[in-house]
Amino acid sequence: MKKIAKFKMRNSQLEILIIGALLLFVCAPLYAQEKELPTAPDFTLQDVDGNTICLDSLLKKGPVFMSFWALWCKMCIKELDALKPFYDEFDSLGLQMLAISQDKARAVPKVKPFALSHKWKYIVVLDPDNILREFYNVQAMPTSFIINQDKKIVFVHQGYKPGDEEIIVEKVRCLVGKNCKGKCHE
Amino acid sequence: MPFLITLLILRLDFAQDLRITGSNRAEYWLFVDSRLDTADYKDHITEKLKLALDYKELTLRGVFFFWDPSLRTVGKLSYVDYSAQYKKDPVNILYGRYYATFGRGLCLNQFLDEDFNNDNSLYGLKAELSGFKSQLTLLAGKPRNIFFEELRYTVKNDTADKIRGVNLETKVLNFDNPWGFNTNIGGRYVRIHKQTDLTPKAYTELFGGNINLKLGPWENYFEYGRHWGTIPVVGGRLKGDGYLFTTGLSLPGFGISLQYVDYKDLGFGGAEYRYNEPPTPIKSGISVNRGIDEIGYGLSIVASPFDFLSLEIENNKVSTHDPDLSKFGEILYLMDKMGGVLEQSAKAITHPTELSEVSFGVDHIIKQKIELPVQKKTETKPYLELQYDFGAFFVEAGLEQTMVMSDTSKYTDRAASISVGKPERFVLTVRAEKRDRVPEWLIPKLGEETFWPMLELSLDLTTRHNLRLRVGGEKGGLVCSGGVCRFEEPFRGVKAVLTSIF
Repeated sequence: MKKIAKFKMRNSQLEILIIGALLLFVCAPLYAQEKELPTAPDFTLQDVDGNTICLDSLLKKGPVFMSFWALWCKMCIKELDALKPFYDEFDSLGLQMLAISQDKARAVPKVKPFALSHKWKYIVVLDPDNILREFYNVQAMPTSFIINQDKKIVFVHQGYKPGDEEIIVEKVRCLVGKNCKGKCHE
Repeated sequence: MPFLITLLILRLDFAQDLRITGSNRAEYWLFVDSRLDTADYKDHITEKLKLALDYKELTLRGVFFFWDPSLRTVGKLSYVDYSAQYKKDPVNILYGRYYATFGRGLCLNQFLDEDFNNDNSLYGLKAELSGFKSQLTLLAGKPRNIFFEELRYTVKNDTADKIRGVNLETKVLNFDNPWGFNTNIGGRYVRIHKQTDLTPKAYTELFGGNINLKLGPWENYFEYGRHWGTIPVVGGRLKGDGYLFTTGLSLPGFGISLQYVDYKDLGFGGAEYRYNEPPTPIKSGISVNRGIDEIGYGLSIVASPFDFLSLEIENNKVSTHDPDLSKFGEILYLMDKMGGVLEQSAKAITHPTELSEVSFGVDHIIKQKIELPVQKKTETKPYLELQYDFGAFFVEAGLEQTMVMSDTSKYTDRAASISVGKPERFVLTVRAEKRDRVPEWLIPKLGEETFWPMLELSLDLTTRHNLRLRVGGEKGGLVCSGGVCRFEEPFRGVKAVLTSIF
């Protein structure tokens, strides 16, 4: 068995530590105030029917749930399928549900047929240039957000495992005033 | 560093109106590969930190990236990207690093595909003006394409070429009607001032347009692109063009889309990069030569006849032209002398009970003159996946067998995996893959390994932080995205990935 070479601290690693420390220093005030939630970035994009979708208009109707997905992302599709049974309940409570497609231009024609074949009633938004993904700093797929009517991001969820939909449903019910077990936001 | 100091100052002065968000991806690999250099163990660290600061209509963005390998033969890569954006309807102006696609990419497609480590960006100015149901985009910038292959990041082109473009998309022809009929049209022009043109007076130009017609659930899209460039080596004017047509029907429980592509000298640039990206109809992302000489079609059908059953069928083909065939024959057939890909797949997803899911299917792909030195390669992969949700935890299992036939040999890969997971907590996966034999032509590319055991733990630290640990082997192979394919090296070692969003 050969020995693993000793780990040496390189300049670049030192740089990132400094950056990280500075970042914490910069961002700490934001999280020091417990009640302060991040504001959701505005966006204007097209849905699969060619309608213009913008956050401000959606929030006038109610809070917003949005999930970033793609045709090649198996777990994204599982998450949206798992939330399908709750759509009508959430719709009656005024929640707007968005599925933000991250598929590139070449796959765009397949998005609408796929969404309808799965009987999704979500507003399916096209984001082939990843504009929204950049706005919301999405690093992993799927990532879901819940935004309240004050335009605050009350919940973020990275990834999906069977059963994860329960926590999303719980947060939504909490947000729209139904009985809930815990805090309505993180 | 100055960016962070600016953030700090702004944070202190304008605390009430500021919003700072970001994300981070940190990746550490420790691995063995005797072909790279003589050291027994290598490691590398990849770090990508994104920060955004919003102040009213202003947005500042920064990306801090570094990749630091222990390989003696390769230098590290680090960069800091930034952009400043002012956005207030009807104006949106951005200076710095950005991405842009015109139409479906026949004329310009500088895009970021983080999931496949493909970063094609522009640095410069982009302005958008919206109004009268239309959007006008003007841009000027220098390209940079970064790519991850063979265990290293490489900058494919960091040129002084200048790209200037204008794009107009409009819905002025849309009007309310009972038939759900509407139409969008677009037009664009892109000019590239290339540093390396032998005939510098002959600009490289791309221009074209698109029309999108919808009638209720039926949607049609046609795009045309024209390329005027320089004939390589000898100089002079090179003229090419490309057509893209898609039609689709979307109904509850049923969707079908059909795509036709035909490109002749539309792709341009060096051997390793393009500024446009004519779409390939191949689902797995393979392109023959990225718009230089391609013709093909794609057919996709998705149906859910019952709530417990979903079916997906794909049949796609792209190839070089063959003057001996009729146009119809060129589109449909993959003859022996053509370079090309034929891809067919069928998949069924069933839910025998409310808590279970069974998926099974088969993927079949023929590649001709794609993976040289092999002239023709056929892969057939049947697979089966099972999932059961016990409430407190879930179990997933998978089996697959890939039968590969090439000009002179054949081999079979068999894989099995099982995962156990708890919602909101973790997923633990054990996977093993075995190859029955290694043909000679594969050894230089992927080595002589025949067994790849792997253990992976995905841990949700919080809903915003995920840690993934992987120990074992990966067989490597062809990974394609946006028409660009690369070989992923076989891997044997440890990977740790921490993704955070804040």
